[in-house]
Amino acid sequence: MARSPTTSDVFNAIAEVRRREILDALMAGEKAVGTIVADLSLSQPQVSKHLRVLSEVGLVKCRAQGRHRLYSLEPARLRPLHEWLARYEQMWNERLDRMDDYLKELQKRESSSDT
Amino acid sequence: MTREFDAPIALVFDVLTKPEHVSKWGATPPDQMKECSIDLRAGGNYHYCFVTEDGTECSFRGTYLEVEPPIRTVETWLFDGWPDAEAVETMQLHETDAVTTLTLRLAFRDKAGRDHMTRFDGQQDSFDAMEAILRSLLDLKGTSPS
Repeated sequence: MARSPTTSDVFNAIAEVRRREILDALMAGEKAVGTIVADLSLSQPQVSKHLRVLSEVGLVKCRAQGRHRLYSLEPARLRPLHEWLARYEQMWNERLDRMDDYLKELQKRESSSDT
Repeated sequence: MTREFDAPIALVFDVLTKPEHVSKWGATPPDQMKECSIDLRAGGNYHYCFVTEDGTECSFRGTYLEVEPPIRTVETWLFDGWPDAEAVETMQLHETDAVTTLTLRLAFRDKAGRDHMTRFDGQQDSFDAMEAILRSLLDLKGTSPS
């Protein structure tokens, strides 16, 4: 049986620039494969391959309408990534605040030792 | 993410990349920096280890992919506490009128990239653009955390 997708698979799925472009294209709403192909100037097999990866990790879902298969986003699956980025940004902001204080202190010490 | 510092570019670069400086500002009080090693060259590793008040240790570590003093470093970034993802950070410095601007960009390595540690493909998104995409994706269906 196939293992169920993990958070790390979501990170892997969005590491590929074409897959991010597909997610971006789907932000406007549900689209058929042919529309995505036209939007991104990619080949149909390329788009299908990336859509398969995105479907496997649950970032997009697919439904059939007549002969077409329509793809749409599952934004909730991006939540772990969103939380990761928010923590990363907060961590760096705090570190850079401290770095700024340290730089000021360092320059003050240098200028006072110069005189 | 960008930040401006009232300091010359060479000093900002040193403060970001030399252990004697990083050990002074790297830890969030009351955490203590227990280890701070930086081998500043392409292929070199860095490792920061922090100890919290209750004695818990956590580490950031990674490998430099590009080092170009005093304007640019590209390095992988892994944090013990946040598994699941290996990030690639790009730090770019630029000095204008005695103000140095740090731009921090973030990308994720895919599994193929992980097998080729030294072959960085330059495929990057700005952190801000990615964050904007994520926010709009999450807001789209009202699933944004309140």
